[in-house]
Amino acid sequence: MDTFLQVTAYGLLQGGLLALVAVGFSLVWGIMNIVNLSHGAFVILGAYIAWEMQSWFGLDPFLGMFVSAAVLFCIGYVIQRYLINLIVNGPVFITLLLTFGINMIFIQSMNLIFTADFRSIQTSYGSNSLKIGAIHIPVVRLLAFLLAILISFALVAFVKRTRTGLSIMATGMDRGAARLMGIRARHVYAITFAISAALAGMAGTMIATIETFDPAKAGKFTLMAFVVAVLGGLGNLYGALVGGLLIGLVESWAGQYLSGTWVNGIAFLVLIIVLIFRPNGLVGKAFYAARVEL
Amino acid sequence: MTTTPEVKISRNLLHTWIPSVVAVLAVIGALILKSHIPGGELRAVATIFMFIALSQAWNIIGGFAGYASFGQVVFFGMGGYFTAVVMLKYHFSFWVAMPLSGLFAAVFAMLIGLPLLKLKGHYFAIATLGVAEGMREVVINLPDLTGGGAGISVPIAGTFAKTQYLGDGGFYLLFLGLAIFSVGIGTLVSRNKFGYGLRAIHQNEDAAAAVGINTVRSKVMAYGLSAFMTGMVGASYVFQQVTIFPERLFDVEITVLMIMMVVIGGSGTVIGPLLGALGLQFISEYLREHFTSGHTFILGLIIILAVILIPQGLVNYIREGRRTKQYSLLTNIRRYRL
Repeated sequence: MDTFLQVTAYGLLQGGLLALVAVGFSLVWGIMNIVNLSHGAFVILGAYIAWEMQSWFGLDPFLGMFVSAAVLFCIGYVIQRYLINLIVNGPVFITLLLTFGINMIFIQSMNLIFTADFRSIQTSYGSNSLKIGAIHIPVVRLLAFLLAILISFALVAFVKRTRTGLSIMATGMDRGAARLMGIRARHVYAITFAISAALAGMAGTMIATIETFDPAKAGKFTLMAFVVAVLGGLGNLYGALVGGLLIGLVESWAGQYLSGTWVNGIAFLVLIIVLIFRPNGLVGKAFYAARVEL
Repeated sequence: MTTTPEVKISRNLLHTWIPSVVAVLAVIGALILKSHIPGGELRAVATIFMFIALSQAWNIIGGFAGYASFGQVVFFGMGGYFTAVVMLKYHFSFWVAMPLSGLFAAVFAMLIGLPLLKLKGHYFAIATLGVAEGMREVVINLPDLTGGGAGISVPIAGTFAKTQYLGDGGFYLLFLGLAIFSVGIGTLVSRNKFGYGLRAIHQNEDAAAAVGINTVRSKVMAYGLSAFMTGMVGASYVFQQVTIFPERLFDVEITVLMIMMVVIGGSGTVIGPLLGALGLQFISEYLREHFTSGHTFILGLIIILAVILIPQGLVNYIREGRRTKQYSLLTNIRRYRL
């Protein structure tokens, strides 16, 4: 029983992290119908920036992540405004290709600048853990988990309560109508993408405090974000949270109770089963899923 | 009015004659080329042929039917592993194993296609990607049959080998044959009723069903056909590589390359994927040789530029240009930007 609880707790914590990786990805996909294949590269870049911040200025990663977020916000804004916006009306596979090209450039640049070595951010409290009953909870993982939850709620509040947020939602629902109402769609798209990149940077910093990272890991995070976003469903900002927690739990349980290498396949099995029975994802809205592009 | 039929006939002649002549010349050129280049280059050109076949295969489900199969590599991998297993364990000749691999992949595609092809857009893409990732896990976890993560080797010499290794020249011809076969299939599909049905499904699936196209059967058949060709290419690739590993054979990058070639060349056409595969593989090979450290970087830059300047693909851009007499890239960008 204790093992089960420990594994479950671990799965939930991991799930929170996955949710943080996926929430920005899901936002961009839901609002702009763009599947951003460079999302994983943003995550890794965020990790590198926080790492550099710590090694140069001794900045704690939980502060350094704001630097990562700020830098990636700017990069994200420029990429959407001056690259992706140029082909938003093209066939859907074009956006996939464009972001894949961006991904290639980012990964190659990171390989050249930071080399392909494994790195991780060490903190003085990194090995501390809380003990509740028989369950050990690493402090860093708990902080990352809480942060993921907090950011999900903050994002919802931002989208529902602020002018910018409402204009993002409106553009996502009907771009033409939104433009007629005086919303600057190009700017709104760029802001949306920038927020997504900033969140990816934060997620990357969290990951760097927990495990090692290197540029080659970017693809894995893109894939994870993809799975989590589809599983949760688009059009609901809590979707990433729901999907992330579910994947975290399932993988954790599978890791404990199944033999070694089946773990990765399990996530996709769950995904396919969910898609067959609930094609819009667990909490997604049909409007966003049905918006099939030609 | 009296001149119209004549014009039409001459146009039709133009449309049927020129491509076939060019195709025959290209094949002859490829055969002449074979005896004039060294072994290493033969391998590189064979890879180009391989990607021509792969991109044609993807074009049938992704270009004509508009179903973006992001897990196409699963058929490549399964075809490859089928060949490896039957050649190693059951001593099949390669020439029997290869078509059987295609059939195996096709049957698998039709089985998973029935539920998966109900999904649309990105959802279909991710579900097929899931199948590919899952299949890799299955292969890794069946070490008795597939060798698992340690890989598996095809017998290429000695008494156990029914088919001797073909050598660089042999594989050059094999992949050339596959490329010709796939372009032929692509041409057939693009010109008959089945292909028009797929195009109708691409444009509007409900409307296609309303005019009497059996959309489920068409989609499943297109998926099966696409998988058949991909599986045969996978089988040939395995025989060429001799020792194979699940990571390489189920690599997402192979799918991405197929899609890139189709989209940059012009999806939904036969010549588009051909040109895309030729151009992209050539550039990629050239960059690998001349800019060892930065070749991914430059390739990424080329992809971004190509995608922004001609999002509809090269062939469709030229076709539209010929119709509208409008070749300005700036106007082209203006059409697709926000």
